[in-house]
Amino acid sequence: MLSVERLCVAYGGLRALIDVSVEVGAGQFAAIVGPNGAGKTTLFKSISGIVAPVSGAIRFDGQDLLAIAPAARAQLGIAHVPEGRQVFKALSVLENLEMGAHPLRARALWARNLEQIFALFPVLAQRRSQLAGTLSGGEQQMLAIGRGLASAPRLLMLDEPSMGLAPTIVDQIFERIRGIHREAGIAVLLVEQRVAEALESCDRGYVLESGRVVLEGTHDTLIRDERVKRAYLGM
Amino acid sequence: MDALILTENVLQALAAGILVGSVYGLMCVGLGLIYGVMRVINFAQGDFLMLGMYAALYLFTGLGLGAALGPYLGPAVATVLGAAILYVLGVVLHQTLLRRVTGIRVAGTESEGHYPQLILTLGISLILANAGLIVFGSMPQSIRTPLSASAWEIGPLVGQNLSVFLNKARSIAFLVSVVVALALFLFIARTRLGKTLRAAADNPEAATYMGIDVDAAYRVAFAIGVALTAIAGGMVATYYPFQPYVGLEFVIIMYAGVVLGGFGSIGGAFWGGLTIGLVQQLSTLVLPVQLQNAAIFVVFLVIVLVRPEGLFGRSAERI
Repeated sequence: MLSVERLCVAYGGLRALIDVSVEVGAGQFAAIVGPNGAGKTTLFKSISGIVAPVSGAIRFDGQDLLAIAPAARAQLGIAHVPEGRQVFKALSVLENLEMGAHPLRARALWARNLEQIFALFPVLAQRRSQLAGTLSGGEQQMLAIGRGLASAPRLLMLDEPSMGLAPTIVDQIFERIRGIHREAGIAVLLVEQRVAEALESCDRGYVLESGRVVLEGTHDTLIRDERVKRAYLGM
Repeated sequence: MDALILTENVLQALAAGILVGSVYGLMCVGLGLIYGVMRVINFAQGDFLMLGMYAALYLFTGLGLGAALGPYLGPAVATVLGAAILYVLGVVLHQTLLRRVTGIRVAGTESEGHYPQLILTLGISLILANAGLIVFGSMPQSIRTPLSASAWEIGPLVGQNLSVFLNKARSIAFLVSVVVALALFLFIARTRLGKTLRAAADNPEAATYMGIDVDAAYRVAFAIGVALTAIAGGMVATYYPFQPYVGLEFVIIMYAGVVLGGFGSIGGAFWGGLTIGLVQQLSTLVLPVQLQNAAIFVVFLVIVLVRPEGLFGRSAERI
């Protein structure tokens, strides 16, 4: 469904991504792990069109994404839940979700999707008319994910959903993400620094370091890999 | 007897302040909308006001709207049609010029792109004012109807002597301004497009992820902001003589109003403009008329000293 081929991105002279190739099949759960500054967020921003790559290709369902305007990419069924949540702080919870349902396809499914989002995150239903800026960090993360789901996506891209959250909240959020993937059949591309949790749920994983994919493979190969164990899993 | 005259004068100034202040409020809302959504400090806003005045004038006289619709409806209709022309001008200016210095590509750059924006809007302002001078000439003009010299009498309120007079032209300007400002607030608060503008203002990057075309949202906000100020301009033109440099007088009032209301708050911009109108009119009770604008700035300085975030500003709120 999504294929990133030999992508290179540079900021000024600084190379952020070097020959990165990533593949996510329909309904698959892929995880990209790696330390801070490895280029994970840059990869997401390239897919969403906020950052323009130097070379390489990004395809979604065979279409050349780089030829499609950034704002038009959401229409294809790509939802980007950005790092640091980035909810619309001055809009209410419900208005945030409405903005998620901006793609025309999603507006037709709005009532059904809203019900599902509220079932997934009941706290959002309780706080529907509250300004998003007044929510706690965990609630904002739930809202950011809900906002992504409101676009009726086929691919949900999650950028560090655990950032800055208490461990119990993180467990809750990961459980919900697994649920979304299992029950709705939405493909998930997850970027995480919490390697253990991310690798636990994925079908396929990538380890990104200093802008390069240093290791990739299926769930089983990765968690058995000696380097991954030593560097990330503390074993 | 003296007390009665004083009361009458105060009431008269209050009424005039509310009438004039609401028109200021509407022009401030136009400027505030552009700043609130795009974060652009638009120096050319006074010149859009001036263009709104001339557009209304020529539609009123040239198109014969005055003769056809009469003194009450004529200026209002000419003003709204003029604002539609200014809306189109706003779209074109954004598409050709402002788009280059606003939007996602400047977010996060040095000073968020404010320097090029300032220079651009100042340039647009100078060009519009001087082009106006060439095209319209320097003779002061106004939309002449009998209404600017007549008034409705409210009263007598107490006894036989205390009445408040509402200038007819100003009263109609007040009505139009309040209705248009209310319509804008409903549009921003309730409609999907209004929410989209707020989302694009709140976080342009996240808005793009949602599939919102931020440039298009900015274009709509800019054009609406220009049109709102043009409506206020057309209304001012019915009771105030103007020439192509009139924008400078009003852009100062607009900035005072918007800062007073709290930069970025659209509701605040209206109240800020209203405050300016009240201060201006009430100051005539104790100061010579020539010092009206000095009074505005004294009050402005005091309020900014006491409440730097503006009367209605909240630090977390962008719109």
